[in-house]
Amino acid sequence: MKINFILNGKNVWVETDPLRRLLDVLREDFGLTGVKEGCGEGECGACTVLIYGKIAFSCIIPVGAADHAEIRTIEGYRKTERYKALQDAFAEAGGVQCGFCTPGFVLAAESLLREDARPDEAAIREAISGNLCRCTGYNMIVEGIKIASLKGKGLW
Amino acid sequence: MVTTYRPPDFQSALTIMRENRAIPLAGGTDLMVSRRRWSGLSPFFAKPVLFIGHLEEIKRVEPDITNIKIGSACSLTSLLEHREIPEVLKIVISQMATPAIRNIGTLGGNICNASPAGDALPVLYALDASVVLQRKAEIRTLPIEKFITGPGETVLKDDELLTSIIIPKKSYNVGFYRKVGTRQANSLSKLSFQGLARIEEGKISDIRISFGAVALTVIRSREIEELLIEKSGKEIEKLISEVNRLYSAVIKPIDDQRSNIRYRKTISLKLLRYFLRTVLISKIG
Amino acid sequence: MKGKIGKSIKKIDVAEKTGGYARYIADMRFEGMLHAKTLRSSKPRAKIKGIDIPEIPQSYYIVDRNDVPGKNRVKMIVNDQPFFAEDVVNYIGEPILLVVGPDKEKIIKILSEIKVYYEAVKPVFTIEEAEKLNTRPIYGEDNCFADYEIEKGDPDEAFGRAAKIVENEYRTGYQEHIYLEPQGMIGIYESNRVTVYGSMQCPYFVKNALIQGLGWGGDRIRVVQTTTGGAFGGKEEYPSLIAGHVAFASVKAGKPVRLIFDRKEDIQATTKRHPSIIRLKTALDDHKKIIATDVNIKMDGGAYSGLSNVVLQRAMFAATGVYNIPNVRVRGRAFATNNVPSGALRGFGGPQAFFAIEMNMHALADHMSEDPLDFKIKHMLKKGDHTVTGGVLRQDVKLAEMTDMVLGMSDYRKKYDEFSKTDDRVLRGIGLSLFYHGCAFTGSGEKDIIKAEVKLKKREDGKVLILIANVEMGQGDQTTLGKIVARTLCIPVDDVIYENPDTDVVPDSGPTVASRTVMIVGFLLDKAAQELKAEWEKAPEVEVHKVYEQPGYIRWDQETFEGDAYPVYSWGTNVVEVEVDPVTCEIKVKGIWGVYDVGTAIDERIIQGQIEGGISQGLGYATIEVMNSKDGKILQDSITDYIIPCSMDFPGIESKLIDSYYEYGPYGAKCAGELPFIGAAPALASAVQKALNVQIKRIPVTPEYLMETAEGEN
Repeated sequence: MKINFILNGKNVWVETDPLRRLLDVLREDFGLTGVKEGCGEGECGACTVLIYGKIAFSCIIPVGAADHAEIRTIEGYRKTERYKALQDAFAEAGGVQCGFCTPGFVLAAESLLREDARPDEAAIREAISGNLCRCTGYNMIVEGIKIASLKGKGLW
Repeated sequence: MVTTYRPPDFQSALTIMRENRAIPLAGGTDLMVSRRRWSGLSPFFAKPVLFIGHLEEIKRVEPDITNIKIGSACSLTSLLEHREIPEVLKIVISQMATPAIRNIGTLGGNICNASPAGDALPVLYALDASVVLQRKAEIRTLPIEKFITGPGETVLKDDELLTSIIIPKKSYNVGFYRKVGTRQANSLSKLSFQGLARIEEGKISDIRISFGAVALTVIRSREIEELLIEKSGKEIEKLISEVNRLYSAVIKPIDDQRSNIRYRKTISLKLLRYFLRTVLISKIG
Repeated sequence: MKGKIGKSIKKIDVAEKTGGYARYIADMRFEGMLHAKTLRSSKPRAKIKGIDIPEIPQSYYIVDRNDVPGKNRVKMIVNDQPFFAEDVVNYIGEPILLVVGPDKEKIIKILSEIKVYYEAVKPVFTIEEAEKLNTRPIYGEDNCFADYEIEKGDPDEAFGRAAKIVENEYRTGYQEHIYLEPQGMIGIYESNRVTVYGSMQCPYFVKNALIQGLGWGGDRIRVVQTTTGGAFGGKEEYPSLIAGHVAFASVKAGKPVRLIFDRKEDIQATTKRHPSIIRLKTALDDHKKIIATDVNIKMDGGAYSGLSNVVLQRAMFAATGVYNIPNVRVRGRAFATNNVPSGALRGFGGPQAFFAIEMNMHALADHMSEDPLDFKIKHMLKKGDHTVTGGVLRQDVKLAEMTDMVLGMSDYRKKYDEFSKTDDRVLRGIGLSLFYHGCAFTGSGEKDIIKAEVKLKKREDGKVLILIANVEMGQGDQTTLGKIVARTLCIPVDDVIYENPDTDVVPDSGPTVASRTVMIVGFLLDKAAQELKAEWEKAPEVEVHKVYEQPGYIRWDQETFEGDAYPVYSWGTNVVEVEVDPVTCEIKVKGIWGVYDVGTAIDERIIQGQIEGGISQGLGYATIEVMNSKDGKILQDSITDYIIPCSMDFPGIESKLIDSYYEYGPYGAKCAGELPFIGAAPALASAVQKALNVQIKRIPVTPEYLMETAEGEN
């Protein structure tokens, strides 16, 4: 089946089995290895992408269901001002250790901040509750998102 | 590679179901996990698959005077954001899975998956929800407890789609939902309890109690609820022991990797007693 | 350079990781690369009577025991584990063969057509069964991978005159690492050499394993660590096994071979923390002082010996915790069972021992109606005291000061008294733990076994290369070691280059384990940098080479386990506050405080990251990380069912470091990676014990266990 979608701002299409996982299409067909596989069960968030700006787990989305969707991966986000604010904030807070979960958390943060530019701690924790991190214990990531929302004036 | 269909509209979807007896896939959050194979390979389906998550006809929320009709393919997040969705349902949905899953997953999927631990099921049973099932040239409506017949089993015909969920509009002034999961968020249910009631002039005029994940399907008993109708606080206090005994007879949990029989049963009944004694009676005053 | 070295800098790898630029093993592609999938034993213990293999199409390969050119044994302390099963299998998940080829669909089709004929052998599934042994031993004669005993003073005499003897038994369960990046390796055979890329902690462990498995010289083998997405000990010994697999496969196929685990496979088949049963018998005198302790440690080592000997040793050396007990006997055994092999996990035997000793101290205090905190303080070690192996605590022991600090931070005393007033609606508790971690390898391991070597190379452009075998796996090595070298050389940190180690390029500075990297390797790098500084102008390119020298004060006998088990200790105190739901028995952590002595923090924020991550894992170990094995099968074998903490499980942590300096650590640094894990579980369990007034004897402390225990006490 031919499946069209907007990927990182560009119109793209693939001719492929629509049941293939979006994760595999992104990694293999488009070379977007910033989208990771941590579990394949929709439980860890390493495969996070944004669909219409909202957080989604690409390992449990069949590419056929993403027809005509607007999809953004870390590769399509990392040149933005918002990304810069988040990267600086994560660095300042110490929220990056092994890095495998980090792009997922960045996109989860974006998904939150676009809806709620000044979230409180509870809202942050809730928004990232589907993303697992084994290294940091989360607090420094939460802190990073707080810093980004405070310092990123006007970005969200 | 199995055949997949992405119908342009709802009627086409029904036609495809009639001709191909396909497996409907809306959000896919259950199916893509339960059927997954090795990383890089498509999940396994023995029958053709029909994408329905994009069909506008089954993504509407239509309230009228007596009911609210919820399209089966509405994402859980869209329901959380919709004004008309009853608060008691939102409370349950907000504790389902995680934000990313809720952005894609659907109520229809949760119902058709018919897991004994399905998060949305106890509240839907308590709300007297019914499901609308459609095939080409036939619509039928069934109460949810008639739709789900066992773990993973429904009476959905192989050419039918579950198109909407109908919830009667009622007002409750007592609500208590407790999901006991394996962690604070993003967890499967070990057991859950839903209590809803309407108290008028110091007496119960309406009461619903359901239990999740502690039997083959959701437990709800109108006979036991009947015992509490029109009762005052003092009378309910006297009935707690009997009500406890009656529910105890039908709560039949299992041992599994998440929890055990004793815990599930004991805590379910403790939550029942907590609801009756602490929530209900104190509200009655 | 001015200012404290500990002042945090931006971690060197933040940009590449945050932006998704960093390439992990699953992101790598090679021309002509083939995929591999492992066929694993479905039986916990059996003889393999035969294997039916279907006709294999061209460009597909079966790789098994017959394709191991060298020794079919994974190089470990003891060589009992085969790369591929031979005539027997000893655990569900044991690798039997690989199917290798270009197309994944075909591979799984071939796998589904392979039939293995098993003849069941009576298995052993628990420590109790392993001890009783109603069947053939899995290992040796007595089914023990290791059986050790140590003694201090004269325990028999002390027990003889005891006023009171109290006995308690404690159990700890499995734990799974759940590094976010699953295991993965790629093997390439080219120009008569094998190169293995992969996620790993110990490139030279892998290289040595390949030397043994291939039977080739080291010059034909190259191992390159790829950016590693978490490890925690799970990539210490396990990678040697799968590196062998891809190496043999790439030699046979003549093409690169890629082996990446799915998460479920990773959980089912890789090593786990050793479950333990620890029994403590304590003798007290008339003054409620402990005069002797007899500790019996039993561990489930799983099907192969792996690192059980060393895990057991560390547990034994920690058996009496931070307490000065004059007479001690510790017996430790690691049993063989037909469960998945146990292995390294942050703390490495320490967490099990500290859970037992801390809970035992609490239990003893309760038994004698003493305040648990005062009881612990009464027995605390001080500088100059002797350890359980008869070593001397030569450096400062700041436990008393640290305890005061954490008590102040948490308001422990006030809360303890307040929570003592019973209130059925809310069950609140607060608990404190005291603990240490022995830094780096036991005894003379650094001197006799590892013999770390480092190189520091000044390039013509003025940049300096750190050439070591230690890896960055999230713990911040790249940054901390870079800071050490930069400071000593007085150059900017950006001028120090430390890349993922490649055994063709770097010497063997030892494994990235035992919290040794900063203290041992960092110290060597500091010395190398000092030398390089002196020689800086000598030539456009200068290379300095340094080899480990054991500090003169260390005395150790590896045969009798006598002397200084560790060169130095890092210390910790934790307080955890909990609320237990009276209806559901669920535990809610309300507060977490910690004070740590890790010597100098080379980077404070990185240390904070280790503290917070370690505590999170420790609290998970204590509560929600349930893993049971039944008949050799792991019941929680997916990330859906094996629950690790998410962002909403535990609250913020307040932590402080105490000033301290170790002269044989770089800028005074000691060890920090594992220490913060250790105290969390006992502090939590103590808090729950206080909240419910029941004896907590096992972790994880699940609501199910609490419900039973609370009912039992009623």
